[in-house]
Amino acid sequence: MSTLGQLVISGILIGGIYALMSIGLTLIFGVLRIVNFAHGEFLMVAMYGAWAITRLLGLNPYVAAVAIVPAMFLFGAIVYRMIINPALDKPHLVVVFATMALSIFMQNVALMMMTADLMDVPPIFGRSITIGPIYIKVELLLGFIITILCTVALQWMIKTTYLGKAIRATVQDGEAAMLMGIPVPRIFLITFAGGSALVGLAACVMMPLFSVFPTVGLNFVLIAFVIVVLGGMGSIEGALLGGICVGVVQSLSSYYVAPAFGQMFFFVLFLFVMIFRPNGLLGQKGAATIGMNE
Amino acid sequence: MRSFLRLSAMFASIVLMLGTNASAQEPIRIGVLLPFTGPLAKNGIENWEAMQIARDMINERGGLNGRKVEYVQGDATTPNAAISETERLITKEGIKITTGSFASPLAIAVSQAAERHGVFHWETTGAAEIITRRGFKHTFQVGAPARKYGQAAVDFVVEDLSARLKKPMSNLRMALLWENRAFGKSVGDGIRAYSEKKGIKLVYDEGYDQTATDMTPIVQKLKDVKPDVLIAISFPNDAILFQRKAKELDFNVNAFIGVSAGYSAPDLRDSIGNSVTGIFVADFPPKVNANVLKPEVKKVAEEFYKRYEAKLKRAPAGHAAAGFSAVWALFTEVLPKAKTYEPAELRDIVLKLDLPEGSLVNGSGIKFTNFDWPDDPKDAGQNLRASIGVWQWTKDGNEQVFPPSLATHEPIQVPLPGWDKR
Repeated sequence: MSTLGQLVISGILIGGIYALMSIGLTLIFGVLRIVNFAHGEFLMVAMYGAWAITRLLGLNPYVAAVAIVPAMFLFGAIVYRMIINPALDKPHLVVVFATMALSIFMQNVALMMMTADLMDVPPIFGRSITIGPIYIKVELLLGFIITILCTVALQWMIKTTYLGKAIRATVQDGEAAMLMGIPVPRIFLITFAGGSALVGLAACVMMPLFSVFPTVGLNFVLIAFVIVVLGGMGSIEGALLGGICVGVVQSLSSYYVAPAFGQMFFFVLFLFVMIFRPNGLLGQKGAATIGMNE
Repeated sequence: MRSFLRLSAMFASIVLMLGTNASAQEPIRIGVLLPFTGPLAKNGIENWEAMQIARDMINERGGLNGRKVEYVQGDATTPNAAISETERLITKEGIKITTGSFASPLAIAVSQAAERHGVFHWETTGAAEIITRRGFKHTFQVGAPARKYGQAAVDFVVEDLSARLKKPMSNLRMALLWENRAFGKSVGDGIRAYSEKKGIKLVYDEGYDQTATDMTPIVQKLKDVKPDVLIAISFPNDAILFQRKAKELDFNVNAFIGVSAGYSAPDLRDSIGNSVTGIFVADFPPKVNANVLKPEVKKVAEEFYKRYEAKLKRAPAGHAAAGFSAVWALFTEVLPKAKTYEPAELRDIVLKLDLPEGSLVNGSGIKFTNFDWPDDPKDAGQNLRASIGVWQWTKDGNEQVFPPSLATHEPIQVPLPGWDKR
């Protein structure tokens, strides 16, 4: 019983981390439909940033978020201007190849600058807290709470603010939105940069938990794409739910079947969701084709 | 017609002679295939530094038969890249001797491309058994085969830890965790088979993917089976994740033995701090008891360690010392005896080598198989005298602890203190 409890709790908590890393991609891929294969490398760059601030300035990685989040917003804006925007009106594959190239480029720049050494920050909280027989790592719990706060805030922003409405309008019908006076190109830029900023936040939360190295993004990018689609394209609470599902399924199947099958099982889950709920767990009907029918 | 042929033959031989005369002063070019970029670059570059020290040392001593040694780099990031880079060095650069490769999947690829062109390949650290079981004529693996890593770990448990933990082998609970790619699986299979032969039953035996992001299920299961000794084959990132998770869930064992890569990486200490102290590592020895080395090898070893530490500000890992040892043997035992430097000639020289343990800097000797090894008659080109053993992370470095002949230190921290005391 305590084993099952530990597995579920750990699965939910790590799922929260997966979700946080996927929320940025929900904006970029789920909302804007930009297939950003360099998402993992955005995470890598932000993690190096958090590492540098923690190691060189001696600050807490959570405090580093104050600098990393705006820096990643700026980074996202530059990437959008220089690479994504010119490729947007070309066939869909061009964006795919452009971001793929960006991903390889960034990995190798990181390798040259940072070497392939694993970089870490020292643990912030010593020992886990225990509830009965269950161990909870404080950093994971904090990460989970930040994810919940982030989901609620973003949800509120998308549903109620002018910017949120403009984003949704742009996605549903870009031309009509433009005719209504919405600055569509700027909305795209802000959303893309905002997605990058969220990756920056995720990186600061992940830095006390994982090592950073030039190819760290590869370990996470596939999970992030699955979560975005699983939760429902463009649905932020869907990403949270998708992340938790992936975390728990991975945890339980790794224990009860075999660790090597953990990834296989969440892809099986993914397949089933796609068969029975093609719009994802919380996606609205037709969400999958929005923005594809011009 | 006949005189024309004779004339052109004479002319051709003169040209050839001139050619060889000219090349007497030219450097001997050796292709070095290592992962210089990509996920394995860290280890690849450490190996490269060690090999460069060997090249510099031999050139400072006047080179080989008066010729300098020159390296030509090929970036073997992945097995596919390894093949195309090896092909490039052979066909475009005219390389006839290749070395390096670091990881087993790369070694498999490089040796395949080299063999296809009849090029001599001197593998430094690849370990998978398959490398020398394909009937290749010009591939020689100087490092130990994968099964020996595991055997060293198991022998250490049987011959040493069992007594230290005051638990007879019949009572000792041994667990095995392995990453499921070429190296981890190969070593894991070896440990399983060898344990069976020794009558040891494993209480846990599971493989995992090295890109796993959550180690909870693995650590939790280990907690449930309560092993005395855990043998783990991991790469750096997953080794760190595992150790952190073990601390998080308060999972303790009496002895922890990591095999190679992840647990021998020098930056493990940077990542998990002092809790690294006490962990055993079955691998190439980073530094062996100098008393087992031949006197002239001892001097070379001293120089190598001094130069490496001066250059990289830390002691070499076992694979880097193995890389140095292998190319140094190539420079001092193989190439000086060559006249043509053609693969066929080098093969004859290499097969005649019969060097006792302690002839190489890392304590190895050299004796290659050539379809004549009773344990596996299909094996050709495997060095049977490669040293492998167990060393231990100590407070401020590492010490060789097993086998007793290579040991520099007694094992400490047995049983391993719990996380609250580390």
